[in-house]
Amino acid sequence: MAGLGVLIFIVTICLLAPIYAHNIAHTNPFASNIQGSTFINGKRVMLLQQNTQGLGFGVTPIGPTWNFSHYFLGADDQGRDVFARLLYGGRSSLLIGTASALLCCIVASILGLIAGYFGGPIDWLLSRVFDIIWAFPIYLLAISLSVVLLTSGLNIGPLHIGAGSLFLPILIIAAVFIPYVARPLRGLTMSLREREFIQAAIGSGSSDLRILWKEILPNAAPSVIVFFPLMVAFNMLTESALSFLSIGVQPPAASWGTIINDGLGLLYTRPWVALAPGIMIAITAVSLNILGDGARDAFDPKAKLRGSI
Amino acid sequence: MKKFRLMRIVGAFAATLLVGASAVTSSVPASADSSSFTYQPSHAGGTLKLLASTAGGTLDPQVNYTLQYWQLFQASYDGLLSFHKVSGQSSFDVVPDLATALPIVSNGGKTYTFTLRKGIKFSNGAPVTVNDVKASLERLFKVSNPNAGSWYAGIVGATACLATPATCTLSGVVVDPSTNKVVINLTTPDAEFADQLATPFGSVLPATAPSKDSGTTPIPGTGAYYFKSYNPNTKLVMLRNPNFKVWSAAAQPQGYPDEIDQVFSNTPESEVTMVENNQANFVFDPLPSDRLSQLSSKYANQLHVNTLTAIWYMPMNVNIAPFNNKLAREAVNYAIDKNAAVKIFGGSKLASPVCTILPPGFPGHVDSCPFQTPAGSTYSGPDLAKAKALVKQSGTSGAAVAIVATNDTVNAAVAQYAASVLNQIGYKATVKLLSANIQFNYIQNTKNKVQISLTQWYQDYPQASDFLKILLSCSQFHPGSDNSINISGFCNKSIDAEMATASTDMISNPTAGNALWSKIDQAIQGGNAVWAPLFTPKQIDFVSSGTGNYQFSKEFYMYVDQLWVK
Amino acid sequence: MLAFVLRRVSSAVLVMFSISVLVFLIFFATPGVDPAARIAGRSATPQIIAQVRHAFGLDRALPIRYGIMMDHLFFKQDLSSYVNIGAKVVPQILQAAPITISLVLGASVLWLLVGIAGGIVAAANRGKFIDPLIMFLGIAAISVPAYWLGEVVNLITQGGLHHSIFSWVPSSGYVSIFQNPFEWGLHLLFPWLTLASLYAGIYARVLRAELVNALNEDYVRTARAKGLSERRILIRHAFRCSLISIVSLFGLDFGALIGGAALLTEVVFGLPGVGLLTYSSLQNLDLPVIMGCVMYGAFFVVLANAVVDIGYAFLDPRVRVA
Repeated sequence: MAGLGVLIFIVTICLLAPIYAHNIAHTNPFASNIQGSTFINGKRVMLLQQNTQGLGFGVTPIGPTWNFSHYFLGADDQGRDVFARLLYGGRSSLLIGTASALLCCIVASILGLIAGYFGGPIDWLLSRVFDIIWAFPIYLLAISLSVVLLTSGLNIGPLHIGAGSLFLPILIIAAVFIPYVARPLRGLTMSLREREFIQAAIGSGSSDLRILWKEILPNAAPSVIVFFPLMVAFNMLTESALSFLSIGVQPPAASWGTIINDGLGLLYTRPWVALAPGIMIAITAVSLNILGDGARDAFDPKAKLRGSI
Repeated sequence: MKKFRLMRIVGAFAATLLVGASAVTSSVPASADSSSFTYQPSHAGGTLKLLASTAGGTLDPQVNYTLQYWQLFQASYDGLLSFHKVSGQSSFDVVPDLATALPIVSNGGKTYTFTLRKGIKFSNGAPVTVNDVKASLERLFKVSNPNAGSWYAGIVGATACLATPATCTLSGVVVDPSTNKVVINLTTPDAEFADQLATPFGSVLPATAPSKDSGTTPIPGTGAYYFKSYNPNTKLVMLRNPNFKVWSAAAQPQGYPDEIDQVFSNTPESEVTMVENNQANFVFDPLPSDRLSQLSSKYANQLHVNTLTAIWYMPMNVNIAPFNNKLAREAVNYAIDKNAAVKIFGGSKLASPVCTILPPGFPGHVDSCPFQTPAGSTYSGPDLAKAKALVKQSGTSGAAVAIVATNDTVNAAVAQYAASVLNQIGYKATVKLLSANIQFNYIQNTKNKVQISLTQWYQDYPQASDFLKILLSCSQFHPGSDNSINISGFCNKSIDAEMATASTDMISNPTAGNALWSKIDQAIQGGNAVWAPLFTPKQIDFVSSGTGNYQFSKEFYMYVDQLWVK
Repeated sequence: MLAFVLRRVSSAVLVMFSISVLVFLIFFATPGVDPAARIAGRSATPQIIAQVRHAFGLDRALPIRYGIMMDHLFFKQDLSSYVNIGAKVVPQILQAAPITISLVLGASVLWLLVGIAGGIVAAANRGKFIDPLIMFLGIAAISVPAYWLGEVVNLITQGGLHHSIFSWVPSSGYVSIFQNPFEWGLHLLFPWLTLASLYAGIYARVLRAELVNALNEDYVRTARAKGLSERRILIRHAFRCSLISIVSLFGLDFGALIGGAALLTEVVFGLPGVGLLTYSSLQNLDLPVIMGCVMYGAFFVVLANAVVDIGYAFLDPRVRVA
């Protein structure tokens, strides 16, 4: 339950990002503000400060003010408010994580169930597809897809996804994790298929589709539901890795991964820019994992006997 | 030239060539300055450890086009001519190297006669003969040297060599082993030929060198060092050439370290830490911005700053929307704050804003900033209101614009800033970040419909034509090709004609020539706002506390072989 | 059994082939990727570019180019990089492999020790405080982005604290074990810790779950009734049964990591292993090296999968029908 509470808290504050940015901090977290300034302790300070010591090289953004009304965590290398971007970044990261997990779980369920139920050549083909996706280096796929799609967008018939759309990282990440969910579901379906009630349904003449929908899916659903929060956590971590490689969310949009990427260029002078999003990802992933465990306990009473967490 | 990976360096200036005259005139300024570094044997020895995060490509001096390895080639290979190995402005002068003296130029500038020195050996012990000289020139065509079709195409016989490189025998190169003379005949006079021979492309290699790009296999050379081993993932090792004796300290001086290593695969942050701890001597990569403050306070005496004639700029595609509209281009110039870009690069001590195509200190440069309020000679700042008005006036408001830049920290930051500004003045701007290996060719190819990009240009030699003619003339615009360095696609026949006039003027009357180049610069930028020039950067080198005798060449930057580790 | 093995092996080969075709196609579909212009160098005339294109066989049809590349890679074994001309792909990978193996072996020893110990302790003390604590630490460890953790470790050991507490930490890079075993270990210490922390949590959780499962089985009840101590039951009975899951999980993880999945760790710590080679070849769009690295990595993943599947089939005959 603590997990759920933390998660709700994080989601809420991230959803409130626009309110924070407009009303409290009065900053635009997406516009560069290189020559801008702010007030700290009544004094006006430049957001990006020229170094005055020694030879005078280097420009450093201001560090955390620990003041909620502005630049709580300081400024990044474009003079933007890090904390406001952190909240907006949470929206993107959570959206990508959740949407790709949803997409992944739905497609993986369909494919896994079909593979497990029908067996034979269909299963063989789908299993090989899973093998290929799983052994395929995600970074190559992501880099190439990104270069192609992010420069020109995706055009399939009537479907047009603009370049830089969040839908692209969602697609890539969902595709990569399909085998991870599909394989266990396939195994589960295969063992379910041998059970008596399924045999009975087949014997009574029900169509395959009906059996899949009415008998197998409800039995597989708990596993999928348990998987879901775990997948959200994994996908968020993957999204941040892709943003580290500059092939996920495109600037000036923020996600926790892109903020980490920005922060790595400031690591020696303003470590908080990289630390804060990493900590946020960790907290969110932890609460998602705890939630996943809780879901598993809820669906499988025997698991309770084995203890919580 | 572009700085990393793709580079074209040439050398000096040949302003004294008289076209059409049959008198024996030198096409290379008779440099009376034969000064050189004074060698101090007490500092000889030790191992120099250079750091670079990635390898620089092939070790073949007739193919490699990167500053990273030209810095090493200058100490390991020699041509008939070379650049003066001193610091300061003279480092752009051409001096005789394997030739005994500067060439005798005759036949109206079409014949160069050299005499080869005797007694010089390659690092494998074989003597250097005139046959090696001829074979090396032919090899340029066999290995498809990037400039074989431009710089060296004027040699008699080059056309046949370009068509069938495998059987290349340059009929225009005549050598005589008994007199040690090398005669090179050109089809037309070429003011820059001497400089082109002085670059590492003009290195004299053994005639037995392979007829294709040698890649990771080193070729023996005549310089103070030779390449011992090369693993592009770990390191490169150079050792003293046992067969080297100084014949001209002005052209190829004795080196200090016994061994020079270049170590790869570390991140720039780790590299800076290693140099700080004296675990390595020098970082080749650009210094990470977040270390600059610390370096300039704690390690100030290990930092060396040198001015460059180079420019960071944003070429705008004048052939597609929205920047085919001149008012839109002017708006961009009014809107972008060059001082903000300077800040991103590291501050005003490391870069200065520029408003023209030719950077300050360059022949033909005139201080003039037309796109600011009020217009003046030095940059005063942006005018967003005027920019917004211009955008409205141009009718391009609301257009989607994509800025294409490389994905390293500084370039990405400048591009993001520019996108933010474009959004403010009424466009819908986004940033497309590509890796450096893709971006440079990508922005040149018109098929990619790049509207505006961010790139850099480093001079090859101090001639205005290197900027204006190379980057903005019709002949440099190749639609549909990956190599079309006139990225803006700007093609104006009357300005092209003026460029031709200016080039000819430069030979007889440089003052008039440079004045004309200034006019051309104003016409292209002031009159047409083809680019958004940002700033001119400085070169900043960081060496460790255990490294001494830092010397800077305007051609090859830091002399690696002159550093003391003892 | 033999039929199963043969079927499994042929599937593996098919998967490898499909991956190689996909990699090839993706590379040539990526815009701005034409290697000829980049190899030829800037300002190369169209004539020069055409020569380069012909020299590299880039003007032939796609299937022929694929065939030529595979021929050079597997049969002639002289496939060379587009970026570092003359550097053969296979020797590059073989030179990088020991570094990755060193990294993965050391890390896997660490994570197995910590993970197994954690799982056993948690299972033995289930319900008490230490059980959820260990599980929470495990979750926290796997919730952290790998490269971020590595950068933070770097920041701590190489940044401000480098001159005080962490002065003994060497700068990044790799020292061969044959050159200096102590330096080898010292350079790899923090990479090992970083990589291990990412997996130890998973193993602790999985082992704990399996152990608790096993402890509820009938045969354990019998053992308890017979009077065996809890400790003995845990270690000698439950543990051995839970080992199957751990071993199969380890097989898959180990296979993937040897193949270069520790890419980001290698990048952050400057270790020139297969992961870093893959990463830089992707950045440089160096197709031959990309192809070599992908084949190498895919081989180990597919091999690990096949070994685990065959192992299961060996232990559990029912699976052979699948």
